[in-house]
Amino acid sequence: MNDETKKQINERYERKLEKGERFWPDTIFKDVVMSLGIFVLLLLLATFVGIPAEAKADPSDTSYIPRPEWYFLFLFKFLALYGQLPLIGKIEWLATVLVPTIALGVLTLIPFIEKSPHRHYGKRILPISIMIVMVVGIVLLTLTSEVPTVAEDGSTLLGTLQTISGIVIPTIAYLLLFAFKNNTRFMLWTTGLAAVSMIFLSGTVLALTPEKEAEEVEVATTLTEQITAGQDLYSIHCTECHGDDGSVAIIEGVEGLEGEKITPINSRDVLYTITDASMVELISYGRPNAGMPPYGKTYGGELSKSEIDYITIFMRYSWDDRFEAPVLPELFPPLADGEVPSYDVHIQPIVKRYCISCHRPGKDNNNYLMTTYEEILTTGDHAEFNVIAGNETSYLLQTIQGQPILDENGEEIISIMPPSRLLNENVVDVFMRWIMNGMPQTAADAAALSTP
Amino acid sequence: MWNNIYAWLDERLGFNDLYTNLLDRPEPKTSWWNTLGSASLFLFILQGLTGIFLTVYYTPSPDHAYDSITYIMEGVAFGWLIRGIHHWGATLMVLVVFIHMLRVFFTASFKYPRELTWLIGIGLFLTTLGMGFTGYLLPWNQKAYWATTVGTQIAGTVPFIGEFILKVLRGGPELSALTLQRFFAAHIWIIPAILAALIGIHLYLIIKHGESHFPEKED
Repeated sequence: MNDETKKQINERYERKLEKGERFWPDTIFKDVVMSLGIFVLLLLLATFVGIPAEAKADPSDTSYIPRPEWYFLFLFKFLALYGQLPLIGKIEWLATVLVPTIALGVLTLIPFIEKSPHRHYGKRILPISIMIVMVVGIVLLTLTSEVPTVAEDGSTLLGTLQTISGIVIPTIAYLLLFAFKNNTRFMLWTTGLAAVSMIFLSGTVLALTPEKEAEEVEVATTLTEQITAGQDLYSIHCTECHGDDGSVAIIEGVEGLEGEKITPINSRDVLYTITDASMVELISYGRPNAGMPPYGKTYGGELSKSEIDYITIFMRYSWDDRFEAPVLPELFPPLADGEVPSYDVHIQPIVKRYCISCHRPGKDNNNYLMTTYEEILTTGDHAEFNVIAGNETSYLLQTIQGQPILDENGEEIISIMPPSRLLNENVVDVFMRWIMNGMPQTAADAAALSTP
Repeated sequence: MWNNIYAWLDERLGFNDLYTNLLDRPEPKTSWWNTLGSASLFLFILQGLTGIFLTVYYTPSPDHAYDSITYIMEGVAFGWLIRGIHHWGATLMVLVVFIHMLRVFFTASFKYPRELTWLIGIGLFLTTLGMGFTGYLLPWNQKAYWATTVGTQIAGTVPFIGEFILKVLRGGPELSALTLQRFFAAHIWIIPAILAALIGIHLYLIIKHGESHFPEKED
């Protein structure tokens, strides 16, 4: 750029300044309004949208679908689509390194690449066209980032459409723009058509994508929630050997571990000497030599890091006398006279805490599973006798009241339930009322049966 | 008395000079598009302030990071608000900086005499992304862990030096306590220091050259 042009530019700017405004207070006023608006927006977002709950990082959970930050999603999507291309799709670094480096390099050096002193839009059709196609592409790639390139039924239609919209059209548009960079009208048409067809294709892709149900991640955040979650997990996974209060010293009634001596895990010996971190490792790795299987996913168990944390928290707040537990919500709402309990509100939480630890697949339970409403009513070797509407001789009611089921020879075929310690009277009462009134599933069904 | 104090301070600090040099400057007619730069600065300051509050309770170790965040959200008075602003502020900052850059591109404001302002601006854009990338890991939740895993993996595909970059980023072949520690250091010390320095130069250049006017037919 020669000095003459520079002088012209500077003179023009001086004239603009003369007809312009003062930084204080004119310009800065707009700035303050804008910043204030952003601040209010942030307050609203923080208050009413908040931050979605997420489970603790779990390196062993390979089923988690990794996703980058939202502003890198377009790059992630671009890589996925690029991988679909024949031949060059296999050379990964072309897409991860070369293309981004060139794009960023051009962007950085644009003041030295675009040497013309002209600033008006009409004299910068080529760079503006390139940028528009780029930005449209980035926005569309971000919007379609959730759409899989290969559908569940194996169809690659969506993937092909996305590749055309995200890679093929922009490439063609760029080639045409450079080939006809002296033809303004042609460049405008190319850019317009490219943008419209990309938007149309991506819109089609989004419309064709089957709607996915948003996955709700349940994360216990408050201490009360964590203790309750821990108690449920403890009931399911630990009660069989350690007892519901952790006091078992000699295991009874567990196949393969019968008579095994263990340290009561509710004792000070354990709670005062084992830190939370060691406790988590202990549950995660187990004590294979002493018969305790691993529970952490890292070692082939079924519990995540967060879940093991909850169990540890439950143990601390229940048995460690250095910790004071907050008031925990009741397992189920107490029943009024004549009120009929429902599966959803009453039975499910009780069953989860006291029964599922054995009555789930893979345990010694006469094939009687209790993980769902249907299973409770229909499974088991004695399915027809277990739960009979309005009948007090239902096996379930007899056993929880301390009455083992005997066959005609007087041999015990089902022991009392739960085998170690009977349920509280009010829990037995819930089961009694539920079965005597026909086992309603929902709270609404139960309310219809209740007598005020 | 206030007049005396003002006069005393003015003699030593030069308020009037500051006023004439920084505030009472002529500008061409500006539009709302010109506010995005100062909005980015505002977001940077806001992120700094909320970030400082968060470090009071945050612990950068895999054993405690997640729990310390839970404590900020549940136990600390208005902790949810501070973290909420920091969380959404990060998203908004990336967005605002990006749109600011697009505005400068479309109005060709990067041309003579503002080429250096643009170069520094690219640096600011990249460091902002760096802040986002390093900050994302700190909550140490599933999303953070796996996002960083794939993010660093992409860096690992660079030919020849990819493995080296990957190890530098992660502090070893795998994501570990070391990764969290160095992302934390980068997020609260290294990158903000670079960002603040670049902002200083960027601002100096803007005051030196003034804001560019919107291009017209003859430009």
